[in-house]
Amino acid sequence: MSAPSKSRENILERVRAATKTVALPPAELAAAFASIPRDYIRRGGMTVTACHERFIERLREYDAEVVETTEEELPATIAAQLAGSGKHTFVAPAGLPAAWQAEGFEWKLDGGLSAAEIEKAEGVVTAAFCGVADSGTIVLHHSATEGRRVITLLPDWHLCVVYASQVVETLPEYFDRCGQTPGLATYISGPSATADIEMTRIKGVHGPRFLHVVLVRDSGQ
Amino acid sequence: MSQGVYHPVLDPAKARPFPEAVLPVLRNPQLRKNVAHAIDVIQAKRGKLVVEKTDWQALRTAGAAIRTHALENLGAYLTQFEERCTAAGGVVHWAADAAEARQIILNLLREENASEVIKIKTMTSAEIQLNPFLEAAGVRTYETDLAEIILQLGEDEPSHIVVPALHVNRAQVREIFARRMGLKDLSDDPRELTNAARNYLRRKFLDIPTAISGANFLVAETGSVVVVESEGNGRMCLTLPRTMITLAGIEKVLPRFQDLEVMLQVLARSATGERMNPYTSIWTGVTPGDGPQKFHVVLLDNGRSSILAKKTERQTLKCIRCAACMNACPVYRQTGGHAYGSVYPGPIGAILTPQLMQMHHAQTLPFASSLCGACYEVCPVKINIPEVLLELRSQVVNQERREAGRLFDPMYLGLRIANLIFSRAWIFHTAQFFGRIGLGVFTRKDGWIHSLPSVGGKWTQTRDLRGLPKQTFHGWWAARAAKPSGEAK
Repeated sequence: MSAPSKSRENILERVRAATKTVALPPAELAAAFASIPRDYIRRGGMTVTACHERFIERLREYDAEVVETTEEELPATIAAQLAGSGKHTFVAPAGLPAAWQAEGFEWKLDGGLSAAEIEKAEGVVTAAFCGVADSGTIVLHHSATEGRRVITLLPDWHLCVVYASQVVETLPEYFDRCGQTPGLATYISGPSATADIEMTRIKGVHGPRFLHVVLVRDSGQ
Repeated sequence: MSQGVYHPVLDPAKARPFPEAVLPVLRNPQLRKNVAHAIDVIQAKRGKLVVEKTDWQALRTAGAAIRTHALENLGAYLTQFEERCTAAGGVVHWAADAAEARQIILNLLREENASEVIKIKTMTSAEIQLNPFLEAAGVRTYETDLAEIILQLGEDEPSHIVVPALHVNRAQVREIFARRMGLKDLSDDPRELTNAARNYLRRKFLDIPTAISGANFLVAETGSVVVVESEGNGRMCLTLPRTMITLAGIEKVLPRFQDLEVMLQVLARSATGERMNPYTSIWTGVTPGDGPQKFHVVLLDNGRSSILAKKTERQTLKCIRCAACMNACPVYRQTGGHAYGSVYPGPIGAILTPQLMQMHHAQTLPFASSLCGACYEVCPVKINIPEVLLELRSQVVNQERREAGRLFDPMYLGLRIANLIFSRAWIFHTAQFFGRIGLGVFTRKDGWIHSLPSVGGKWTQTRDLRGLPKQTFHGWWAARAAKPSGEAK
């Protein structure tokens, strides 16, 4: 076995030799990348309402529960969802709005909770960065309102609040919204699932078995 | 558990040639039924979702162009990935071959004093036969993907790159779990079986502080790693441990973060017939307070750079491991994956495996195809697999021809004679004359040849050959010209 640094040089040398006739000088790389044909659909053509309906339909198709509400009704809707879950202990990301933390339930505010503590909680409530209608996807960038990755993983029940203005029709539209690239991101499309045994889709293997989405209509809609 | 048991079946250096390896499978109706069922389900789901996507061909074109661009400039993008990943707190290692990758990973585990490790499904780790190596070195490995648990506990091998246990049915899974998890009362309901796996692994996720993953993509622009999965076992391994080790082939690099908008649209649809897999995780080095605080990436060459050097074969490395080609392949549908003698079965395996072996092993695989082209048609990054198959076939033939023992091999002898015969018209006509007499001996009353000796038997053992007609075309043409009306019988 050669020393690690030597392998690095050897591999890069072999790669460079192998691509000698096709590799571009660094100055031309960006232009070549820009000329890659991208004739796929970037912006969807749906009306806002149709786009939201598509988002809800696709989420439901993958076994997520969806309810719609308004900004004014949001705290009450969250409270009703929590009550309906039959669960009592919930994790809240550090930045979760106080109004979302309904009374009558036990809240564990995540300021670096241990995995064991999070695992004891029955559910979690978070915001989202974006929703993608085409694939029924919830995007988390793990900001203060979306929480650390672990809190949306260990509890069995996840309630995610998505604002209608956050919903885009196509995946490329989400990438356009990113601005700065996220260091951490999780895309969730329906609850944890497997089809490893005879291709039978089973909901809930290791991640949350229940995904609830509250879609908040913007005023005037 | 005795995961140290070594299964040579998927080691291309030791596997039997495809035509031999395939025989036990073809005689196993249960296995063929399991494989055909799984494939029919995925194919139907994929078909529906691809039709729904009106820009599918444009996505394929973009996907192919992005992967080609990344490979052609791999040196630049690899070093960019290394730089960005390192800046974000990751440690990048380079492994020239399987042995070096295994040793790097073992050394990292020793630094962590790890006697156990949890794993996310990674075909690359199977390629370098990591588990048996770690087990032999005293590190217990726990696969966490449901299919991989089935295989690990059942001491079986993967037969598909996305659904590795598709050859095992629910009754067989029940038997394995009941025996290995000590659950006597387990039923064969997939829900109950899945739940058994959840309970089996829950504590391991929480207790074992070191994990190993593969990577679906590496992003050069950001130094990020992308893993797509369904169950959440990946997220568990990526989030809970203290230390994360990612093993990735050097070809996995994408130039920019935004390229995922293409790859993620085609990958799940092609792989499992879903619009999007349930979970996609993207992380960049180390994030304080969130997830593993030590992160290592092992970049593996293991034959890839030599594939990169060849113009036609280079496209093999565009592969994003969706397995659409094996699901579409009429050969794979009949044989399943084990006959390919590699962790990469099906059409992509038929071109990737012999090349990873530098054409020293697995030379029968490029012939395990009808060249129907279904693999090319479904490939989301447009790898022209039939083109590469043909190129590799010619290399295998040239290799064989040079072997001294082949000088009098009936097939090569026959081909050399044919070469001579077709070179001059008079030799052709003479040969035709004697050939008709010769073949006439084997032609039965029904006008068919049912059996030929020697190399000709390779044809007649599976199909009949029509006897030669009474008149040759040349004879017919001459007779036609001789008649004034121009009509010949």
